[in-house]
Amino acid sequence: MHFRQIFRLIGILNFFLGLSMIAPLIVSLVYSDGSFLPVLYSLLITSGSGIALFLLIKITDYSSLSQREAMAIVTLGWLSAGFFGSLPFLFSGSIGTITDAYFESISGFTTTGASVLTNIESLPRGILFWRSLTQWMGGMGIIVLSIAILPFLGVGGMQLYKAEIPSPVVDKLQPRISETAKTLWKVYLLITLLEIGLLSIGGMPLFDSICHAFSTMPTGGFSTQSASIAQYNSAYFEGVITIFMILAGVNFSLHFRFLKGDFKVFGRDPECRVFLSILAILILLVTFNVYGTVYHSIGKAFRHAAFQVTSIMTTTGFVTGDYAQWPGLSQIVLLLCMFIGAMAGSTGGAIKVMRIILLVKHGYQEIFRLIHPHAVRSIKLGGKPVPAEVLNSIGGFFILYLTLFIVAVIIMSSIGLDAVTSFASVAATIGNVGPGLGLVGPVRNYLSVPDLGKWVLTFCMLLGRLEIYTVIILLAPAYWRK
Amino acid sequence: MKIIIVGAGEVGFTIAQRLSEENHDVVVIEMDQNKVRQIQSVIDVQAILGSGTSPSVLQEAGIKESDIIVAATDSDEANLIACFYAQHLTDYITKIARIKNPEYMKHREIFRQDFLNIDLIINPKSEMVASMLRLMEVPWASEVIDFVDGRIKLIGITIEDNSPVLGRTLSSLNDYQHAILVGVIVRGEKVMIPGGQDTIQPNDLIYCVARREETPHIFRLLNLREEGLSRVIIVGGGETGLALATSLDTTNINTKIIEKDGQRCLELAEKLEKVVVLNGDGTDREFLMEENVADVDIMVVLTGDEESNVLISLLGKALGAKKTVTRIGKLSYIPLVSAIGIDTVVSPRLSAIRTILQYIRKGKVISEAPLKGEGAEVIEVEALETSDIVNIPLSKVKFPKDAIVGAIVRGEEIIIPRGHNMIKPHDHLIIIALKGAIPKLEKLFTVKLEYF
Repeated sequence: MHFRQIFRLIGILNFFLGLSMIAPLIVSLVYSDGSFLPVLYSLLITSGSGIALFLLIKITDYSSLSQREAMAIVTLGWLSAGFFGSLPFLFSGSIGTITDAYFESISGFTTTGASVLTNIESLPRGILFWRSLTQWMGGMGIIVLSIAILPFLGVGGMQLYKAEIPSPVVDKLQPRISETAKTLWKVYLLITLLEIGLLSIGGMPLFDSICHAFSTMPTGGFSTQSASIAQYNSAYFEGVITIFMILAGVNFSLHFRFLKGDFKVFGRDPECRVFLSILAILILLVTFNVYGTVYHSIGKAFRHAAFQVTSIMTTTGFVTGDYAQWPGLSQIVLLLCMFIGAMAGSTGGAIKVMRIILLVKHGYQEIFRLIHPHAVRSIKLGGKPVPAEVLNSIGGFFILYLTLFIVAVIIMSSIGLDAVTSFASVAATIGNVGPGLGLVGPVRNYLSVPDLGKWVLTFCMLLGRLEIYTVIILLAPAYWRK
Repeated sequence: MKIIIVGAGEVGFTIAQRLSEENHDVVVIEMDQNKVRQIQSVIDVQAILGSGTSPSVLQEAGIKESDIIVAATDSDEANLIACFYAQHLTDYITKIARIKNPEYMKHREIFRQDFLNIDLIINPKSEMVASMLRLMEVPWASEVIDFVDGRIKLIGITIEDNSPVLGRTLSSLNDYQHAILVGVIVRGEKVMIPGGQDTIQPNDLIYCVARREETPHIFRLLNLREEGLSRVIIVGGGETGLALATSLDTTNINTKIIEKDGQRCLELAEKLEKVVVLNGDGTDREFLMEENVADVDIMVVLTGDEESNVLISLLGKALGAKKTVTRIGKLSYIPLVSAIGIDTVVSPRLSAIRTILQYIRKGKVISEAPLKGEGAEVIEVEALETSDIVNIPLSKVKFPKDAIVGAIVRGEEIIIPRGHNMIKPHDHLIIIALKGAIPKLEKLFTVKLEYF
């Protein structure tokens, strides 16, 4: 293990994280909301610590960054980003305790969108903006962003990229990893700008449009309103946000190919087809379930069902209707969505459609083999055979996901939370969704969860965002052995 | 520049690695899943799983935006077909193909102008034979690389314990009437571009730049035995052995070729005129002594078995052969065998890599020596009028630390430069640099590095 390399790179990461606080700093100046000094102090501490790490640790060789080190850099980098990202909340007094501030910050970076804040409108705008920005940076990945900025990482960049990108298979879009990262960020930025434009045209204040776009594209879910999107009660906003939540849930390499002129790419991609089909079926199911029981017009039922199912399945977590009051079937469907998640290579969380498809195919293959014991079959996706190691890694991922889920649920229930809350809070954090059910339902928040529970959930968010392996490997004793 | 490489064997892999380190956009097409994964984790290139003989795979690799395609698979036919599709898909792409089959090589013009328009056809074996012949021109050198049609030579020499130049600074060598420039010193596993104050140590491998007519002066200076090449033994009568023997057949050099297989010996004897064909085993000590290996100037070991080649060379050395040339196929062996006392290594793959890289960016790779990690390279560059380096004395030019101007070619004139020399616009420069300095050089010449 090259600890020097690890800490030096984390230093660089901190430096850039500090620089990104310039954006909320400007916002606080524009609105003179009193958050200027807290943000400035956070900026100086974050960048300062980065410079200190960078200057104190001397190395020149970046090329020997192995997969092991890359995983440590990514996990430790995220933990440190969570810490420094919580400083503006603490210094401005928006959040009182370190536990709560760290929870909010990690929830932002991991694009979960679970909040401990009760009266969001009363917060300074600079702080609200920082809250949205953490999601936006975390969505495409803070490490991927630094790969795009730092060309010297070379091959090491590839290892970091693999450790952070949420997908079982890594798609290199360009010959160089730094170009690949840049391309992804450009696509991401472009779609975000488009959403800001569409929301502004519809009459949403510019500040709110930016914050909501910064929250939609990473499938985050933080809103500038306590009542989330329901506050606006606008079919137009809900429609725009629904569409962009779906876009955010699609693999960004497909967006890239689309922008390069391959217009049929969405229809051709097998994962995309399954993703959209599941989404459509579940929306219809929920629509008919809530029609007549909660909403009395079919239009209204569809509007809320479409928004809510999309929001939960893409793991965004915006809210327009209190689905805790919906019938049991709808609640179960939404809980299911928390596990399915969006497409691999998107900004969404949870298990992801590609893994589900391959798990189902794998299961079917076993049945087929019982019927035809001599059959030789290979599992294909879109006509291309899937390597056995990818299948194995997916199987392992699924088992780890469920195991960690169960362990976390047991801890949550043992500290006194009811069954529904325990179950839903873990599902909503490990899947990076945000709102759950019960005490952490759509119109409530995570403030009432005991401190130990908050730390467990914080860890779950990190596990979910970095897709378990990258984080959990640091806990394996063999990892640290020479 | 965007470059597609088809086939990630040793040749393809090494070229991809070099080019990617020099900041080119490289896409590698490879059929083997494991190799694709390995490439992705070792070098910063895009690796595509698939066959280079498929137009759709070539398109996926972005052939339309690419400048060069290098077809370097182990199959001649696959390479030709990849070039065929490349020609079909884009008009302007530069095509480089590796061709092994001598039958194809005989009719290479068909693949060039007539039909496929392939810009460069590489036959690793004939490249290797050519480099061995160059070596025989200057038998006391461990490596010879030609520039400007052989008018400038870069000569690698191992310094022995009793050399008269031991401990002398490089600038003191320049007091001589003739210009010699030591461009690279390889000491142990370290490669460096020396300055005037550096001294020469025993067992250094030094690379000197010299005009062709001045090469004899170098070994006078170094007090090397000036003996013409008179006796050569070739062990292994395969295709390479035969090709080398055929080239030597017309010279006055007394050549013997040893081959184990009796039938093959007959074939060799039919094709060769003066060369003595011997049927025997190169690992047989008695046999080698009988054929008087002790008096041989160069023993060239070219059997098909890597490990035997190393052992035969060591045996030859022990029996008194002045110099050995050993064929090693596996690139990873090369640093090892140099360490155990093998003089000179030739490798068809290395020769192919060198020729391809040289073609792509008119650079030549020095890599014979046990270079670990960082290697040195020689690049030919044209100095443009707009460049910062022209019309000021060389000593004032802000040159990267790990690079040195080895020669200035001004029309017919060749200058081995000193500090007071000036570069004029349109001069061609021969620059020796460590790999790490190449990006800096590229900046210095901003897009002026001559690629084609």
